Amino acid sequence: MINRVAYKDLKVLWASPVPYVVGALFHVMLGLLYVSQLETRKQAVIQPMFPLAAFLLLLTVPVLSMRAFAEEARSGSLDLLIAVPVPRWVLVTGKWLATWLTTLAVLAPSLVFVLLLHLYGNPESGPIEAGYLGLVLLAAVLAGIGVLASSLTTSQPLAALVALFVTLALWFAHVGSDTISTSTALARFSLSERLRTFAGGAIDTGDLWFFVLLTTAALIVAAAVLAVRKLR
Amino acid sequence: MIEARALTRRFGGRAVVRDVSFRVEPGEVVGFLGPNGAGKTTTMRMLLGLLRPDAGDVAVDGPVGFLPEVFAGYDALSVRGYLGFMARMKRATADGDVDRVATAAGVDDLLGRPIGRLSKGQRQRVGLAQALLGRPPSYVLDEPTQGLDPKQVVEMRDVIRSLAKADGAAVLLSTHLLAEAATVCDRVVVIAKGRVRAEERPGAAPDLEARFLRIVGEAELDADD
Repeated sequence: MINRVAYKDLKVLWASPVPYVVGALFHVMLGLLYVSQLETRKQAVIQPMFPLAAFLLLLTVPVLSMRAFAEEARSGSLDLLIAVPVPRWVLVTGKWLATWLTTLAVLAPSLVFVLLLHLYGNPESGPIEAGYLGLVLLAAVLAGIGVLASSLTTSQPLAALVALFVTLALWFAHVGSDTISTSTALARFSLSERLRTFAGGAIDTGDLWFFVLLTTAALIVAAAVLAVRKLR
Repeated sequence: MIEARALTRRFGGRAVVRDVSFRVEPGEVVGFLGPNGAGKTTTMRMLLGLLRPDAGDVAVDGPVGFLPEVFAGYDALSVRGYLGFMARMKRATADGDVDRVATAAGVDDLLGRPIGRLSKGQRQRVGLAQALLGRPPSYVLDEPTQGLDPKQVVEMRDVIRSLAKADGAAVLLSTHLLAEAATVCDRVVVIAKGRVRAEERPGAAPDLEARFLRIVGEAELDADD
């Protein structure tokens, strides 16, 4: 049933202009920023692309995820599914899967940079694979947080704003950790710090588990939110 | 069978539904009548498991076929795609069941059309078709004939009657139309200001209208409320 929910959401999402517009803006921005990085370095390397793509994902995934539950709750179609009843965890997981796959599809054209590097050079594949694994895991977390935010409200813009605020807070969680002792614990939740290892070409299983557990936690909370909404 | 047992629900300290009890037997169409704000929708949401009661409980032979007052599908999906999706969610046999409910609801000629391009009446019939999926033993239908033209209203009422009389389902039908209640329903439950005020068999529509207005008028004057 999860794949049915995901397939339905993919069809609905890709029938709208949202993923196309978001994807176009993502790649225009990524291309400009990445090329400017290369010009500064005077060297064709892929590593600067990963943190740029990651930060742009922070800005784009909330737009892809905002309609997941907010629109269904607003229109009333969610009531039909809950009345069936479709288990809430199935709905949450299916919608997360659709958002994650859409994010990966939006990200996929960036592989052209890798292709160009292979055409004109002989880059190591390890750092590229690690960098992309980091982005794939980040997309999973962002999709989870986006679906959670969407489960909290019937307003799509509000869902996007909540998701953006939470992901930015997680991205910058390490800021000030050198000077403020309480921030050291928060730094462990910093998405940008966790991604740094992947972007550097290494895979840390601790970081990998961090992304998996954070995604799972977001989905569990989203399912709980849907259950609590029944109380209201 | 659909049964509400002493259902109570408050919003912000105000009781919107108070001690509501009634029962719909298999093979029976029961009309749920009441003025706007009487507590009909809140009661139906509790029956469907969409809202938790503060007190009382619900017994329903499930699954329930549910048609909301304003049906919302997915505009991007075709009618067949939508019904196929809902059939799988209901674990009904997909293709055969889709064709059966589409014919029953009169949308078999619309199966290839996107839901977003349907008229309000056509959408409402698609909503009925999804409610019919899987032949549920119980139905909750909220204003099912709203937005339909006169011919479609007659057809919809025939389908509703056949659900109870041919399939033996228990049907709870919310409606504002007293003539509809008189035509379709075996019994009516009248709710006003959150309480069940009367439960009776409808006679001719003018009689039902007079009784309904008297019951609602008395509820308005009820000092306890």
